[in-house]
Amino acid sequence: MTPTLIPWIPALAAATIGLISLFRSEWNRFAGALCAGAIGLSFVLTLWLSSSVGSGVVESGFYDWISFGSGDNAFHAGFSWFIDPLTVVMLLVITGIGGLIAVYAHGYMKGDPGYWRFFAYVALFIFAMTTLVMADNLLLLFLGWEGVGLCSYLLIGYYYEKPKAVAAAKKAFIVNRVGDFGFLLGIFLCYQHYGTLQISTMLEGARETLAAVAHGHGAVTATDVWIPFLLMVGAFGKSAQLPLYMWLPDAMAGPTPVSALVHAATMVTAGVYLIARCLPLFELSPYALPTVATVGAVTALFAATIALVSNDLKGVFAYSTVSQLGYMFLGVGCLSTDGAVFHLVTHAFFKALLFLTAGSVMHALAGQLNIQTMGGLRHKMPVTCWLMFAGCLALAGVPLTAGFFSKDLILGDALAYAVDHGSVLFFALTFLGVVTAFLTAFYTFRLWFTVFMGEEKFEMGDEHHAADDHAGDHADEADAAHDDHAHDAPHEMPWSMNGPLVVLAAGALLAGLVLHFTGGIEHAVQHSTAAVFVDAAHSQHAGDPAGDHGGEHHAYFLGVDAHVFMQVLSSILAVAGVVLAAFVFWMKREIADKAAARFDKLIRFARHEYCINEICDAAVVLPLRRLGALFYAVDRLIINSVMDLMGGLPRWLGMGVRPAQNGRIQSYGLTMVLGVALLAVLVLVATGG
Amino acid sequence: MPTIADKLAGLWPEIVMLLGAVACLAAGLSASARTRRLTPWIAGGTMALAWIFALWTGIDADHPLGLGGVVTYVKCLVLVLGLVLLLVCAGVPEGLKQTAAAEGARFDPGLSVRGEFYFFFLLSITGVMLTAGATDLVWLFLALELTSLPTYVMIAMTRDRTVAHESAVKYFFLGALSAAMFLYGFALIYGATGFTEFGPIRDAVAVSSETGLSDPSPLMLMGIVLSVLGLCFKVAAVPMHVYTADVYQGAATPVTAFLAVVPKVAGFAALIMVLHLLGLDRLPEPVLYLLGAIGVLTMTVGNVLAFVQTNLKRVMAYSSVANSGYMMLGLMAGLGVPGNALGNGPAAVLFFLLAYGFGSIGAFAVIAALAAQRSPDGADHTDATGVADDLEYDDLAGLWWRSPVLGGVMLVSMLTLVGMPPLSGFMGKFFLIGGVLNAGFYGLVIVLVINSAISAGYYLRIAMLTFFGESSSAPAVILPEGRRGPRVVGAVIAGIAGLLIGGLPGNSVVRNAREAFEPVPAPASAEPETVQAAADESTASAPAVARSQAAGLADAVPTP
Repeated sequence: MTPTLIPWIPALAAATIGLISLFRSEWNRFAGALCAGAIGLSFVLTLWLSSSVGSGVVESGFYDWISFGSGDNAFHAGFSWFIDPLTVVMLLVITGIGGLIAVYAHGYMKGDPGYWRFFAYVALFIFAMTTLVMADNLLLLFLGWEGVGLCSYLLIGYYYEKPKAVAAAKKAFIVNRVGDFGFLLGIFLCYQHYGTLQISTMLEGARETLAAVAHGHGAVTATDVWIPFLLMVGAFGKSAQLPLYMWLPDAMAGPTPVSALVHAATMVTAGVYLIARCLPLFELSPYALPTVATVGAVTALFAATIALVSNDLKGVFAYSTVSQLGYMFLGVGCLSTDGAVFHLVTHAFFKALLFLTAGSVMHALAGQLNIQTMGGLRHKMPVTCWLMFAGCLALAGVPLTAGFFSKDLILGDALAYAVDHGSVLFFALTFLGVVTAFLTAFYTFRLWFTVFMGEEKFEMGDEHHAADDHAGDHADEADAAHDDHAHDAPHEMPWSMNGPLVVLAAGALLAGLVLHFTGGIEHAVQHSTAAVFVDAAHSQHAGDPAGDHGGEHHAYFLGVDAHVFMQVLSSILAVAGVVLAAFVFWMKREIADKAAARFDKLIRFARHEYCINEICDAAVVLPLRRLGALFYAVDRLIINSVMDLMGGLPRWLGMGVRPAQNGRIQSYGLTMVLGVALLAVLVLVATGG
Repeated sequence: MPTIADKLAGLWPEIVMLLGAVACLAAGLSASARTRRLTPWIAGGTMALAWIFALWTGIDADHPLGLGGVVTYVKCLVLVLGLVLLLVCAGVPEGLKQTAAAEGARFDPGLSVRGEFYFFFLLSITGVMLTAGATDLVWLFLALELTSLPTYVMIAMTRDRTVAHESAVKYFFLGALSAAMFLYGFALIYGATGFTEFGPIRDAVAVSSETGLSDPSPLMLMGIVLSVLGLCFKVAAVPMHVYTADVYQGAATPVTAFLAVVPKVAGFAALIMVLHLLGLDRLPEPVLYLLGAIGVLTMTVGNVLAFVQTNLKRVMAYSSVANSGYMMLGLMAGLGVPGNALGNGPAAVLFFLLAYGFGSIGAFAVIAALAAQRSPDGADHTDATGVADDLEYDDLAGLWWRSPVLGGVMLVSMLTLVGMPPLSGFMGKFFLIGGVLNAGFYGLVIVLVINSAISAGYYLRIAMLTFFGESSSAPAVILPEGRRGPRVVGAVIAGIAGLLIGGLPGNSVVRNAREAFEPVPAPASAEPETVQAAADESTASAPAVARSQAAGLADAVPTP
């Protein structure tokens, strides 16, 4: 019963909010409390559930959703749950972070005309997301998958009066369709191959095949190879990896709490979750995981370079999200599922914190997003300043913060994997990861020093400046909330909004330390379906049951344990990045300006996302449009006229037969007798004479 | 050889119907006005009682063709449709001018037609029941005539316009022609085999050892062909369809609803019996050709003619023709695999009759509850009750907004007739097409589907007009309470039935239709099933629906 309640309490809250808005609109102001309360309740239930799950698996049914056929052809897809420690980790992140963000949003969205609508969507999102991670079959998972996609669409397009938000919502939805298409094909193939969509059964089958192959009998079929690639497309779409990443930066048109919840902490990690959950399926194909890792590492670097030059407060964090998701894919790609999930958890903390503090800044500056107009805001907004500092430290991977431990686990595992397999590809990918780590530290603190340090300056955003690139995007949102403040000096947020941020900041700073030393994530992953399959007889990991390179087994790089090497290296790089950023963007800003002038073209190019959108337009959108125009013309000219002709045919026929219906009984009688004669002759002919 | 007493024992429902008919006749002429008003109630009670008797009598396990189940099914089917039709038709004689005259200060039995109307109504339905129960060609002929003859009178007496009398006369003459045709066919069958009883005729038909098909003598074959062609008149199939539009238009609308449904049930029951003389599962090729040709021609002619009509009753008349065409194809599909409803063509026909019946009754009932306000050609279109019931498309414009109930029923009826899921018409066409496909007649399936698409052209036009239409002149008005009788109730019941039979209750109807063709192991065990069957067909009462849903669920579990 408990598992069932976790998604359905928020669903009930969403329905209640909807009903209230219909019938008791004066109670609309309770929507925020209702939503936050429901998510909080789900969080408590998750905690309770986690104690009963322990390191085992809880399977629980709710109702038989789809059921038909019998015997061998039977198909069942239940609305039922499969809960292992991995699910619990995901649930804790979703309901925990989700609850904190809902509390923050309660203040942030106050006074917005669509207040109730926002919380109805958020509650519905939590329902879909929890269903996604708790599903025991791929079909139900897909239901949640599409559900979060829908909520994401609704929330991005929340300010539906703004064409930019609507366009962004459409973009997100359409790009996700491409991914979902692959995912759906993958599901079909899974059903065809395994005869079921029950995840546990499928993974069982995959592990058996793996074991058989490891022992030299049995072979991997073409279907086995195709399934991970199709599922991967879905994961890339949802988690904004190259080449399907471009919807995520635009998705920042939604309200900031949404950016934090949906587009940083939870929904975009669904792709990582999917691969982690179905890891044995991916292990079946020798190329699947290296592909995942490559895409992840390349995306990480690619997005980091854009974040480096972006002047958009939320844009920097959006690209950094894409970049960090790339790390997670690198993690699962080198069989470091524990690293990926670890990073997923810590990232949820610090990225949510960063987005929400960015939201606070934006809120205080009436929607201003251009960081070049900001400076020295630490005096006006001290709490926000230091909260964001905590988040930046974690994102930069400064030693002992959350991001440090999780990122280094991934990079260390990647290096160890490269050493173990002598794989040049993975050496290269590790190198990309390391470069990205340095860039991350640099661009994170570029932003922080620019906004909060140096000489105090700010420009208020204004909805009248809506034509401007960045300013005014969120002006109406802020104006509606704090009209009296809109043209006043920036102000600190009330503690009702900063409170949740403090919790997130604590998580961003300490979660890594705690989880690293308690080994909570490794424990969770090892007892879940995400555990790496290693066959004892054929282990390439030299007998390490979990594929974990810690413990007794060590991979040495340049004579040093890979993990230790990586920790030292990235500590140096992180600190170097921070220091360099401090020097360039705080102490001597003229260097930054000079460099900016020097590399103006490159920066513009990068800021333009390397023309990816244009390439995409030219390669995909334009041909499709042309094709559409062609089809339209064919439809108009040829098909329509044929159809008109065919539509006219019955009419002409009718007109032709109609004279026989002249109302005269004699001719009716004649028709009947002639008809009988004709048909009788037909029968005679049919008899063969 | 069963004795006459044995035969009578199976005819209790018909006996009840005849007694009730006589009671109606007497009550309609009673001196007391209160008793006269009871007449429709007596008719309804009679049918309900007959229904109970039909279930109580149970399935005749000794049916010479092994179609005892079909007999019971058709009897229940026609009684259910009859009860709904009674709701639509009740009020017709009461609304006549002559009734008003007869019911003046002093009752004038010479003018009153009330008793006769319900008498003939019940007699015609009795005729269908006897048709289904026939085990002998002579019996079959008499039963068919009993079905048709009362309808001639019903047409003539319920409207005092010449067009109604013209319709009645046309219907009578052409009906007589068709009767001559199938009587000729029956005579040839007798000549070929020497029997009039079904059992011996069937035994006399040789089966080819090579093909497994019936191998009738040419004389027998001609007999079957002529019988089938003659029966085409009853079901309004090509080439005997010519009367349909004129007669349907000329009759009072409630009577048209009766004509569209009751003779059709009789016709298909008779066709199933006659064709089963050769074996529905092993029809010889010439008969298949004949049925295929009739089916294709009927549905095409019906649809294209309906397409060009503007008068709603004529549209519905040709729609009735087209639907006969679909069902003709079902007859040639064979019985399929026992235990599997999909693939049993005749069972699909039996189900389709119910779906078509409710769809048509719903549409006609709505038309009957409306009165046109204008006369396009300046002629007097009012009938004996002073109602102009010759509706054009424009009269329906925006009906939903004036009466959501009637508009809704019209919508459901049209969608059912198109075959839109999840309505009963969809199930009907689904099983029909399934049967024809199973039998391997792919070309015919394509023709059927194309015809369905053409039919959507006029059905959906009506459905769309009901919602979005805007009339250039004044659209039809809804008859006042006193003039429309219980028609709206009938319309609503037909609409709900059309809706429900597409859902779970339909599942058990399908099962009953399928089981009707399967041999009955022992009458004792068959009886509770039939009771259930009856409950399924009843849609008027909520408990019945609930029960039938339970039955549907039970049936949803697939049988291995």
